[in-house]
Amino acid sequence: MSDTPQWPVARLDEVGRLRALAAGVRGAAVTERIVAAPVADVWALLSDFEGSFGLIEPDMRRVRVLSRSSGPDGEHVELLARSRFGFRARLVGVHRPGWFWAQSRFLLIGMAAAEAADGRTRVALTGGIRVPGQAALVPFGVRRAARGALDRLDRRIGDTLGTR
Amino acid sequence: MTDSPTPLSDVELVRRAQAGDTLAMASLLDRLAPYVGRICGAIALGSGADAAQETLIAVFRGLRGLAQPEAYRGWVRAIAVREAVRIARRTPTVPADLSRLPAKGDPQLAADVQDVLHRLSPEHRAILVLRDLEDLDEQTVAELLEVPKGTVKSRLARARASFRKAWTA
Repeated sequence: MSDTPQWPVARLDEVGRLRALAAGVRGAAVTERIVAAPVADVWALLSDFEGSFGLIEPDMRRVRVLSRSSGPDGEHVELLARSRFGFRARLVGVHRPGWFWAQSRFLLIGMAAAEAADGRTRVALTGGIRVPGQAALVPFGVRRAARGALDRLDRRIGDTLGTR
Repeated sequence: MTDSPTPLSDVELVRRAQAGDTLAMASLLDRLAPYVGRICGAIALGSGADAAQETLIAVFRGLRGLAQPEAYRGWVRAIAVREAVRIARRTPTVPADLSRLPAKGDPQLAADVQDVLHRLSPEHRAILVLRDLEDLDEQTVAELLEVPKGTVKSRLARARASFRKAWTA
């Protein structure tokens, strides 16, 4: 038995962390939804950067992984994203199960997933067009874009589960 | 970029976060979450995760306005204590009989200590956390909680003596 009291420790899940971080980004909104699939399946889709990630995130046409390296806080990734409108963004970020946060000069993307009590998955998204170099987003259409992304995630989850 | 070979100091991370680097903010969140979780868990108990989230939201909302990055830990601690006490007050507590703590070695000790914590008031738990977990002196605790030093002393004395007795008897 320890000689000191074992104080209770609170743990914030990845969705809670995303909400906290987004609070520091002016103009950011967090959109959350329960997805009817296990967290591992949901995260496999969201973190397939050269595949389903680009099909789920708003306005992406093609995504290429430029580099991946492991760090103490997760996998450090560098992505080259091309939008449907021809823009290119070099995103630099950190990825680990249930967590992805990345920024370029003009773009910010945050994704989080955590297991819900009933075995389904809470998914939260944030991000949008970044005010260059700042912790701020251009506050137009951020919620609509995130809802669209969650709709696409729902459809892909349905397709994936349907083919099993 | 925050993934340089040598980890950045907390203060450097705060400065970069204040300048708009959201990756520095994310790194700061990784470092702060366990610290905030310890304070909020011990004071807000079952509502600790809610308190931790409210604390970190307040921290990141207020970070740009923090005038002294060197003092950020104390600033975070003050927010954590305030949020944890505020949220814990939503759950009423039954005053504890601290003289009935179990002796060291009692297999029920861990569970009973949890029970005692639940029956202390949030303000009582805050004082215990700040003195025993954070190792602050009574004057600093009094300033943080905005109560007279004598109040800290009197509230703390019985609870801490009984608490420690359970582990050192």
